Amino acid sequence: MATVEHDRSGEDTRPHRHNGGRVSRGPVATLVGLLGELLMTAGVVLGLFVVYSLWWTNLLADRAADRESDRIRDQWEQAVEGAGGPGSLDTKGGIGFLHVPTMDDDQILVKKGTDPKVLDDGAAGYYTDPVKATLPTSGKDGNFSLAAHRDGHGAKFHGIHKIREGDPIVFESKDKWYVYKVFEILPETSKYNVGVLKPVPEESGRKKAGKYITLTTCTPMYTSEHRYIVWGELVRVDPVDDRRTPPKEIKNS
Amino acid sequence: MYGWIWRHLPGNTWVKALLSLFLVLAAVYVLFQYVFPWAEPLLPFGDATVDEQ
Repeated sequence: MATVEHDRSGEDTRPHRHNGGRVSRGPVATLVGLLGELLMTAGVVLGLFVVYSLWWTNLLADRAADRESDRIRDQWEQAVEGAGGPGSLDTKGGIGFLHVPTMDDDQILVKKGTDPKVLDDGAAGYYTDPVKATLPTSGKDGNFSLAAHRDGHGAKFHGIHKIREGDPIVFESKDKWYVYKVFEILPETSKYNVGVLKPVPEESGRKKAGKYITLTTCTPMYTSEHRYIVWGELVRVDPVDDRRTPPKEIKNS
Repeated sequence: MYGWIWRHLPGNTWVKALLSLFLVLAAVYVLFQYVFPWAEPLLPFGDATVDEQ
């Protein structure tokens, strides 16, 4: 990289050395060399950005989500023992866990809101805007609409394309298991299609009020050009027992 | 650019190499800690929600 070689014969184009080994070059060669170095640097930086997006953010998000999940489970346990104590409300909006066995065996922490700072910590967020989600714990008809990242930041909905109609989605709250069954999938829609979040979701095929769940994430993978939507309907609510025995829909967790 | 940096690093080749490594690590740290988190929301790769705008 320090020398510039030309192929023209008859000319002495070898770099001249002076100033203690420093190579002096013409201004054009210097500029071209600098440009090359900048381009290579840009390439390396872009490569590092991919590493950051697909690996590093997952690491950070999983750590954050695990820590908060542990805290919520601790609080649930303490509440069962009847010792709330100070800080028992400090769940940072964490309300429970989502289990989607066909997507991943791991639990997904569910928190309030879909701001980047919620989703980037490896959680699924329930919508507060533009259409407010109806929480299953409220017992009312409505749509429990959730969003999570497809890639990076925990990539909690990475495997959303594995979900098929009829698959279970289970939401675990402090004292209940809400078992949903997937009835419709919209593999690609506009990112402005807020109708999918409505209490009776548009395009889901349902016309009557009911207890629905909506998962939204970006598609195709590694971009956020479109949105992928999965709808489910509540089929059963089981009480949580002393050992938190999961419903039969969840294989092992 | 890199040649200029190399020439201006003190010490013999080994010291220069060590300092270079340190500079590279520092650059990666600044990128991961500050530059990428800042740039990420500006790039259209990670939005998972549907919204109105």
